[in-house]
Amino acid sequence: MLIELEDLTKTYGSVTALAGLSLALPEGAVGLLGPNGAGKTTMIRSLLGLVRIDSGRGRVLGMDLAERPLAIRQAVGFVPEDECLFPGVTGVQFVAYAGELVGMPPRDALRRAHEVLDYVELGEARYRRAESYSTGMKQRLKIASGIVHDPKLLILDEPTNGMDPAGREDILALCRDLARNKGMNLLVCSHLLPDVEAVCEYVVVLGRGRVLAQGRIDELKQPHSQEFELRVRGDQALFADVLARRGVRTEPIDDHLRVSLPDGEGVAALWEAADEASEQIRLLRPRRSTLEEVFLQAVGGAN
Amino acid sequence: MPILDQGYQHWDGKLSGHGLRWLAITRQGVKAQFKNRWLISTLVGALAPALLLAAFLILWGLFEQQSSILEPFLFLFQGLPAEIRDGPKAFRTTFWTLAYTQFFQIQLFFTFLLVMLVGPDLISQDLRFNALPLYLSRPLRRIDYFLGKFGIIAAFLLAVTLVPAVLAYLIGLAFSLDAATLRDTWRVLAASMAFSLVVAVSTGLLMLAFSSLSRHSRFVTAMWLGVWMLGGAASDALEQAVGKQWAPLVSYSADLGSVRDALFDSDAQWERLANLFRASQEAMLNGPGSVGPGGRRGGLFGMLAGRRPPRPPSPPDRPGDEVEGESRRPPWTWSAGVLAGLGVASIVVLSTRVRSLDRLK
Repeated sequence: MLIELEDLTKTYGSVTALAGLSLALPEGAVGLLGPNGAGKTTMIRSLLGLVRIDSGRGRVLGMDLAERPLAIRQAVGFVPEDECLFPGVTGVQFVAYAGELVGMPPRDALRRAHEVLDYVELGEARYRRAESYSTGMKQRLKIASGIVHDPKLLILDEPTNGMDPAGREDILALCRDLARNKGMNLLVCSHLLPDVEAVCEYVVVLGRGRVLAQGRIDELKQPHSQEFELRVRGDQALFADVLARRGVRTEPIDDHLRVSLPDGEGVAALWEAADEASEQIRLLRPRRSTLEEVFLQAVGGAN
Repeated sequence: MPILDQGYQHWDGKLSGHGLRWLAITRQGVKAQFKNRWLISTLVGALAPALLLAAFLILWGLFEQQSSILEPFLFLFQGLPAEIRDGPKAFRTTFWTLAYTQFFQIQLFFTFLLVMLVGPDLISQDLRFNALPLYLSRPLRRIDYFLGKFGIIAAFLLAVTLVPAVLAYLIGLAFSLDAATLRDTWRVLAASMAFSLVVAVSTGLLMLAFSSLSRHSRFVTAMWLGVWMLGGAASDALEQAVGKQWAPLVSYSADLGSVRDALFDSDAQWERLANLFRASQEAMLNGPGSVGPGGRRGGLFGMLAGRRPPRPPSPPDRPGDEVEGESRRPPWTWSAGVLAGLGVASIVVLSTRVRSLDRLK
């Protein structure tokens, strides 16, 4: 297991950040979702051994949270949400410094800094001062400093915050490549569900310091037995009227209809309706929940 | 795509141990400081007293050996009492001590200047740019962070205090050509090391505490200048207003000076020298034939004989003593207590201002 937490509790005065959090995350790319105040940041800090937990226990990469915080931070890379870049250093100096802080010899750190800057496509800007970088470049620089020591687990806190769509897509592509082609485990904390869906195969939804939902994304997005996505060759509105007369609820979505069959009816009812209206069905598939629906359902259920 | 693009490669090199991880912060910080031209100028300026100290110790070594090389510099020794000229080795400890005391007195100025140039940004910049997670999310403890930052200040301060003091000592030792020099002057070396460390620890902690109090380095600089400049003025004002013995404790530089004098035992050496000069003055003014050409004055190398006798030497002014024979300074232990108190206060400030990330965002 990548991360195992057992009844983890952390309070700040009267605020309970983690309320008996228990989870077991498999290796791979894991998304961490949750509304504000759900305990995501506290969980990340707990994993890095940066907060003193009140009770409970946990292991990251098989290492105990309480006993080996330094070893955990050695094996983990962290890309914080804050900018945390100080002025006056070039990109390559910043990344090399990050490597030295982990314990890499200065020469190795510098060589490795050049390699990872090439990898994140900042090779051309490596000798520019970090404060002159754009938001996207700064994000890449932070990722480069997070992976300079080749960590087994990379934790990214809101990696696409404040980025334009093209830059965001680049960062997501980078994360995907790290997770799928380079064998690096990722924990992506984000409030942007499409980002998590684009990178991760496993997701955890936190709320009020507890796990509200967790599982493989493709399993969470389960197919609905009574709901379908349907597209016809002819007039969609006309066919929706035909379905409505049979008690089938319809809702136009983009170029197709989302249909909900009444209880007791099967998919045959749709074929019968098409036959009746002399309409040709071009697309018919069970509807799957979106990640957003999973999230909202989990958060709504908790409330 | 470039043909030689290797993409991401795994790295399995050897990492250093945790014990010296703070050195990375110090190394990077020292390197970054060399971009400051003012700092380089100050470092070069701080070399001058060190060169003077070394030159003095060389001269003294040659003087002890009554070397003929000294002939062009004889005027320097004309004002000395005959006892010193006749037996300089007996005054080796005194002169070495006083030379080092003067050296450290001047270096204290450069020390304050260097701390002002190096220190303000050290923590305030990290607070301003939220750079603490950069350190604390890596295998570093808070103490490593503090040690690393402190190391930057200490490196510069020791470079202008301890390093030149030790080098000058070795040079002086080499030019004395006398094994007894080590026995006579070991305290000077020990005091130099101790005082250099006291200055580095005290000013380093104080500056780091100041630096953690503000996100803007100009305010930190103002705080430091306040301690440096206003402390002395406040001490003088207090002394005049209340006239109490503790008044000089308000001055941070006076406190350091008091500890310095105690470590070197320079008051006793000043006293010894003053008594000698006083006795010599009286002898020259009252004693028959004591200043004549055939008197003792002709004894040194035989080279001064026949010249016009010098003016009777006056006792040297002891720094810090405005009233002869009456020390108005508080005991050095009080000053040491003030420095220790400031050190503890600095540590408390640091530990509260640079907290871990164990808090609500």
